[in-house]
Amino acid sequence: MTLKKMVDGIVEQGARFCDVRKERWDVNHLVLKDGNVEQMVSGEEEGAMVRVLYGNGWGCVGTSALERLEDAARRALAMAKQNHTFKEEKTGVATINPVTCKEYMPAKIRFEDVSFQEKVSFMKEIHNFLERDWVKSADIIYRDSVVKKEIVNSEGTHVMMEIPRLVTYMVVTGKENGSIQQASEGGGGTGGYELREGAYEKVDTVLDRLRDLLGADTAPSGRLPLIMDHHLTGVFVHEAFGHAAEGDLVTSGNSCLARKLGEMVAGENVTITDDPTFPGYGSFPYDDEGTKARPRILVDGGKLNDYILDRESAWKLGLEPNGGARAEDFRVKPIVRMSNTLMKAGDMKLEELLEDVHRGIYARSSSGGQVSPAQGTFQFNAQVAYLVEKGEITKPLRDVSFSGFTLDTLRKITGITDEMKTGVGHCGKGQSAPVSDGGPQVLISEVTVGGR
Amino acid sequence: MILESVKEALEKMKKHGLQGDVYGMESRNLAYAINKGEVSDISDFEEVGLGIRVRKDGKLGFAYCVPGKEERGVLKAKELSGFSQKLDLTFPSTEKVSKVKNFDERILTVMDGGEGMDLARDMIEAVRDVKDDIVATNGALILYTDSIAVGNTSGTLLEGSSTSLLAGVTATIHGERTSLTASESDCSRRLDIDFRNLGRSSGEKVDSMRESSDTPTSPQTVVMSPDAFSGIFRFTLVPSISGENVRKNKSVYNGKLGESVADGKVNLVDDPTKDWGMGSRAFDDEGLSCTPLPVISDGVLKNFLYDLKEGVKSRTGSTGNGFRGSFKSPPMISDMNLILKGGDSETDAMFPERGVYIDEVMGAHTANPVSGDFSVVANSAWKIEKGQRAGRLDGMMISGNIHECMLRMELGDDHRRTFFRMGPRQIKLELPSVRISGMSVSGG
Repeated sequence: MTLKKMVDGIVEQGARFCDVRKERWDVNHLVLKDGNVEQMVSGEEEGAMVRVLYGNGWGCVGTSALERLEDAARRALAMAKQNHTFKEEKTGVATINPVTCKEYMPAKIRFEDVSFQEKVSFMKEIHNFLERDWVKSADIIYRDSVVKKEIVNSEGTHVMMEIPRLVTYMVVTGKENGSIQQASEGGGGTGGYELREGAYEKVDTVLDRLRDLLGADTAPSGRLPLIMDHHLTGVFVHEAFGHAAEGDLVTSGNSCLARKLGEMVAGENVTITDDPTFPGYGSFPYDDEGTKARPRILVDGGKLNDYILDRESAWKLGLEPNGGARAEDFRVKPIVRMSNTLMKAGDMKLEELLEDVHRGIYARSSSGGQVSPAQGTFQFNAQVAYLVEKGEITKPLRDVSFSGFTLDTLRKITGITDEMKTGVGHCGKGQSAPVSDGGPQVLISEVTVGGR
Repeated sequence: MILESVKEALEKMKKHGLQGDVYGMESRNLAYAINKGEVSDISDFEEVGLGIRVRKDGKLGFAYCVPGKEERGVLKAKELSGFSQKLDLTFPSTEKVSKVKNFDERILTVMDGGEGMDLARDMIEAVRDVKDDIVATNGALILYTDSIAVGNTSGTLLEGSSTSLLAGVTATIHGERTSLTASESDCSRRLDIDFRNLGRSSGEKVDSMRESSDTPTSPQTVVMSPDAFSGIFRFTLVPSISGENVRKNKSVYNGKLGESVADGKVNLVDDPTKDWGMGSRAFDDEGLSCTPLPVISDGVLKNFLYDLKEGVKSRTGSTGNGFRGSFKSPPMISDMNLILKGGDSETDAMFPERGVYIDEVMGAHTANPVSGDFSVVANSAWKIEKGQRAGRLDGMMISGNIHECMLRMELGDDHRRTFFRMGPRQIKLELPSVRISGMSVSGG
C-alpha cells in the first residue's frame, strides 16, 4: 500500500488529518582521543511515524519495522480516538498549500565519497595542531549524517528531501600549576565534507581560551554589567528568548511571551530572527510537517513580531504556519523548534562597549544554558570570562554563570557591535535538534553573576 | 525474537573468523503528554536493533543494524576495526548472573490496555484540586519496556526484560507579568507511583510560592531537595568516578583512592542488584554479572567505575559498568544505580534557623565536570526563617564546588529515585535531601 493510500484510509475512518514521515539515516560517528581512534560507529536505520488527528485528539505511533506501518497507523487512530474522548480544548492544523516536491540540500563533497581513512587523517591532523606541553588530553569528535525524509499527508502534500550535516567538536583539557581546565569548540553545518575546513580555524581559538582558563581566577558574584561575545549572544537569544517564542509553549501557557505579539519586548536596537534558510547547522528546506521553510523575524526593532509555529500552534493562534515543526528522528513526533537563531548586528565597536563598563564582566563562548520559558528566567555559562575595570580587560575568570529575567534583560541591552558570527549546537527540548545561533557582541547593563 | 538475532550475528562473526559481542534491544515507549491541564497527545514507539562489536587482530570495530542485516553489520564493524588501536580485550564468559527485580507485568498491562490515560488524568486533576487558579501546564507520563540480549563469542548469552515508569508534572499560577511554576516528578520500575499525590505535591508547591522574599546575603546554609541536589551531583561528582576520567587526569580523585573525600557519614555505592532500582539489572551491557560497588565508604574513596575497554587500559578489569544507551551506542562507562546515603535527619529537622531551601535548580549541566565547580539558578527556592519555609526567592544563584560540599554536607533520610537522560547517557541516582553550610548565593 502506498503512503498516500494509507493516510487517506485513516481519514476515511473519521480522522480529520493524518500524516506519515518516513526517514532513512546514514550516520558515521568518529571519536579520536589523545590521537587514537576511540570510537568509529557506522550505522544505517530507517523507520516512520504516523500522526492522526481525530476530533481534538492526537495519536502518534512510530516503528522501525516498516512492514508494520499500516498497523502503526491503525493504532495511532485508536489512540487519537481515546485522546479525543477526554480532550476539552479544541485543536486543529492550520492550512498550508499541499505541495509535491523533491529537495536535496547540496553537498559539494558527499560523505559516501570520502573514505574512513581520510576522515581519520583529518581528525589526526587537528589533534596534532592541538598538541602543547600543557594540553593533557584532546578529544576530537566528528559526525556526518544524511537523512532522507518522505512526508505524506492526507491533504495531498508529498515532500521528499535529503539533508546532509557535518559537525565537529574538539574538547581540550589542560593542566598547569595544579589547575585542571577544559575548553571546547564546535563547528559544522548543513552540507558535505567540505564543511570540515571550518575546524582548522577553531584550533587557535580553543587553545587561547584554555590558556586563559588555566590562569583564571574565580569570578565575583552580584549584579554586574556584562558584555557577551558573539557565541554567548547566540546562546542568549536561543535560550532566553527563542524558547519563549516557540508556538507550543506560547499556546500551552508556558511562555512569558504569550499574548505579547505587537508589543515592545526589547529595546529598539534589538532585532532577532530564526531562519532555517540561513546557511547554518539548523537549516532545512521543509519542516517535518511538509511546510516550506522561511525566515521568521521574531523581534523587529524591539517589537515582538512573530512566533515560531507548527501547524497546530498556528491554528490555535490564528496565524500562518511558518515551518517550525522539527523531530529529532522517526522515533518522535515533530514539536516546535528553532533553526538558526540570530541577533542583528548594530553599529558599535567592542572598544566602545568596554568604555561604558566601570566594573563588569566580558564573557566569551558558552558551555550551555537553560531556560524556564514560563517564568521567563534563564541561566547560561561562559567558558571563559574577563574582569573589566574602568573600560580595560584586566584578568581572566573561570566558572562564570549568568542569570536573569528574559524581558528585563532584553531591555537592558545598551550596546551592540557591528559584526556577527555564528556557532553550532544541539538544542534539547526532550528531543535533540541541530541548531546554529549567533550575533554581534552585546553589552547588558546588569545581570546576576553567580561567581564564587 | 531479539535473542535469535543476537545468535545470528554471533554466527556470522564466527563464519568470518571474528571475535566480538552483540547487544540486541527491543523496546516500546508509550508517552502521554500533558499540556494546559489535559493530555494533549499520545505517542507510542517500538523499535528493535543490534549493536555489533567485533575484534580483529586485536582491534575493535562497531556498527549497528536491524535484524535481518546481521552479516552486513558484522562486515561493517570488521571494516572499521582496522582504524583502532590494538587492545588486549577478552570478552567475558558469563554463565550465571544475579537475580534482580526490575520487571513489572502490570506496566505492560497498562500499556496494552490504554490505562495510562487514567493515570495521567489523575495527576492533572490532583493539581487542579489544590486551588482553582493552579493548572498542570506541562508534563508527561512515560511507560517503557525493553528486552535486552547480550552475547559474545566467548559463550556468553544473556537475556532480560525490564519495565519503567516516569511521571512528571509542572503546576503553574499565571500572573500578569510572569508566572509561577513548580514541578514534581517520580520514577519507578513498577506500578507503585501515587499519581494523585504527585500532582497534589506539585500544586501545593507552587501554591506556597505566592509570597516573595528578598535574596539573603552570602554565605547561607542551604538545604536542597533530592531533585535539586541530584541535578548538581550528576554533572559534577559523577564524572569524577569514571575510571577513564581518572586515568586521563580529568578527575580530581586521581591518586586519591583510600583518602577521605567526604564527610565520614557519607556512603556512595553503585548497586545494580538492588531490587526495583531505576538502574537495577542482572548483567551489564557487555555481559558481566552485576555486583554492588562501593565508591565512597564512610567518607573514604574506595573504587572507580570501569567497562571492559577501560578495565584493560587502566589494568583494573571491568567493574561491570559497561552501558549502552541504545543499540546505536558502543559501550561506555556508566554508573548503573548510584545510591548516596549516610544521614538520618528528617527534611524539616535539617532546616536551619535562617537559610535557604532549594527544590529545583536550572543550568546544572553547565557545571565544570573536571573541577566540580558549579554556579546554578535556584529555580524553586524559599527563604528559611525561624526554621520554617518563608517566601519564595526569585532568580537567586548558588555556587560552590561539589568536592568541598561533600566534606561538609549532612544527608537526610528522605531517599528518592531520580532518573536523567542526556543523549545516550542515563543517570539513575537515589539520594536524600542535603544540608550544606557556607554556600555562596547571589542575585534575585
